[in-house]
Amino acid sequence: MATLSALLPPPRNSRAGPWYLVLACLVIVVAVVAWSAPLFLTPGNLSNVAAQVTPLVITAIGQTLVIITGGLDLSVGSLISLTTAIIVLDLPGWAMVLLAIAAAVTVGTVNGVGIAFLNVHPIIMTLASMSVVQGVALITRPVPGGTVPGWISGAVNGSLFGLPAALVWIAVAVVIAAFLIYRTRFGLHLFAIGGNPNSALMNGVRVQRNIVLTYILSSLFAMGAGFYLAGRIASGDANVGTVFGLDSITAVALGGTSLSGGVGSLVGTVLGSVLVGVIGNGMNLMNVSAFLQIVIKGALLLAVVSVQRRKQIGL
Amino acid sequence: MAHTFETSSNAGGANHWVRALGRRLIEIPPAYFVLAAVLVAIALLNPNLMKPQVLLTFIRQSAPLGVAVLGQLMVMRARSIDLSIGGVFIITNYLLTSGLLGGQPVAMLVLVPLAVGLVVGLVNGALIALVRASAVIVTLGVSIILTGIVLFMSSGRPPGRVPDELRAIANARIDVVPVPVIIWVVAAIIVAVLLRTLIFGRYLTAIGSNPQAARFSGLPLPRIVVTTHVLSGLLAALGGVMFTAALGVGSVKFGPEIMMNSIAATILGGVTFGSGRGGVAGPFVGVVAFALLFALMTVFGIQEPGKLIVQGTVIAVAAIIYGMRTR
Repeated sequence: MATLSALLPPPRNSRAGPWYLVLACLVIVVAVVAWSAPLFLTPGNLSNVAAQVTPLVITAIGQTLVIITGGLDLSVGSLISLTTAIIVLDLPGWAMVLLAIAAAVTVGTVNGVGIAFLNVHPIIMTLASMSVVQGVALITRPVPGGTVPGWISGAVNGSLFGLPAALVWIAVAVVIAAFLIYRTRFGLHLFAIGGNPNSALMNGVRVQRNIVLTYILSSLFAMGAGFYLAGRIASGDANVGTVFGLDSITAVALGGTSLSGGVGSLVGTVLGSVLVGVIGNGMNLMNVSAFLQIVIKGALLLAVVSVQRRKQIGL
Repeated sequence: MAHTFETSSNAGGANHWVRALGRRLIEIPPAYFVLAAVLVAIALLNPNLMKPQVLLTFIRQSAPLGVAVLGQLMVMRARSIDLSIGGVFIITNYLLTSGLLGGQPVAMLVLVPLAVGLVVGLVNGALIALVRASAVIVTLGVSIILTGIVLFMSSGRPPGRVPDELRAIANARIDVVPVPVIIWVVAAIIVAVLLRTLIFGRYLTAIGSNPQAARFSGLPLPRIVVTTHVLSGLLAALGGVMFTAALGVGSVKFGPEIMMNSIAATILGGVTFGSGRGGVAGPFVGVVAFALLFALMTVFGIQEPGKLIVQGTVIAVAAIIYGMRTR
């Protein structure tokens, strides 16, 4: 119960954005999919949806932190790929985990320092690091393959108290993020920075340091998603993460988090990710072409950002 | 690149003229230093390549990108960004190689993609300027939709070949200069004149320097943003036609690369969001520098991953230099 109250933002909190809209969308979409594809509501398929949606939920949670500060992290996708490539390296377990963490922290720090201290636009900085990390991932693992350690596969494909492990991964990510956003000073400062970085600075928020920390966290969440994905596909693949850069932004935007910063919520992001997953799963069940799904996903993204009218024209 | 860094750190010293020189050097787009460094490297490592004919062949490969960059630089000067260039290239490639336009005269082969580019630019511009949606998301979304449409229409398989007339134009030369390079130079001159002499160019500078001030001064901000996106869509389509003509076959792979390179070359050429600075020459040199840099890396057997790393590093370093300057 304590977790649940931490998850939900306080009532009448304008900081949370219109997350209930995505809830309404989700209910409608689930109803439509369940009606037209009876297979959807079977336990087997639902645990399938959970497994499919987990890496997106984890990545999108990290992305939410960044977007609340008014930034954007395009490098999460290639970091996921790099993580899967590191996991299948022939290393002892602890060394592999340390290397993956080191890689994530390095990418996050470079992004954050470039953006906060060296005054580079977030899009440019993370686009550049996306390219570099993608290159490193391709060098580490030129073709998909390798062996994923048994403990990762077990933690991804097993179950706990009869629930699929995917739900445990989601719960852990949500609890960590909920604690950070709603129960720490850092979380409050995220909203302050996103609302107006200058007044945050005037009010004693250490803006630059917090921004760097945010990008490190985003990278670490992406790394977590990489671990999950490696367990699920049972190999390392330097291109597996590519879709997550944009999908995570779609999920966050769907959840009512403002892309200009200062407004956002965790519930929205989780629901937004699930909505993306359910739409994908539903279209699969209805035999919609995978290529047509790309078009529909893009159109959905455009529709979502068009609803969020902003004050200013620009990036 | 290293040279710029050294000088700028010296600039903190007591010598006034060193500081002045440092400031002057940092004003020069990084593209010029990269080009100089690459030319020196080529001359030292493989002098055989230092012939105009060889260099022009390398540059010819980048002419399509160069044309697209002309659009990207205008968009970025208006504090927006166009990530849909890759998508426009892909759909242009599909239109020309799928046989949809089979048997049409060359003029139609160019005009139909241009019309598509125009529509894409209008959609981008309308969503960004009128609906005020985020430019990154809009153009990325449009790019995904275009790529998805092509994948759907072609069932994921790259379609056929380019009509021979277009191939002939791509391979033609006037004296030693390849025709695509001539098209690129002419387009660059037109855009440069547009930015220098027309009011539109002055508007762009004003918006880049201070959008609030520009708006309060009564500049038609939305209209200018839409115009830049339409121009970018048109130039991307033209670049796509040139690219496809040179490539000769259908492909769906090159989109993200083109998009990244267009931003890289533009930033390298000294255009950043909201500085109000940067002309056509800088990004032009940026494209040439990238072309020769990649050619040099190919000669040394550096593969795709290495190129991605170099590309990302160059973008980051160029952006950091500009970020420190405009602080």
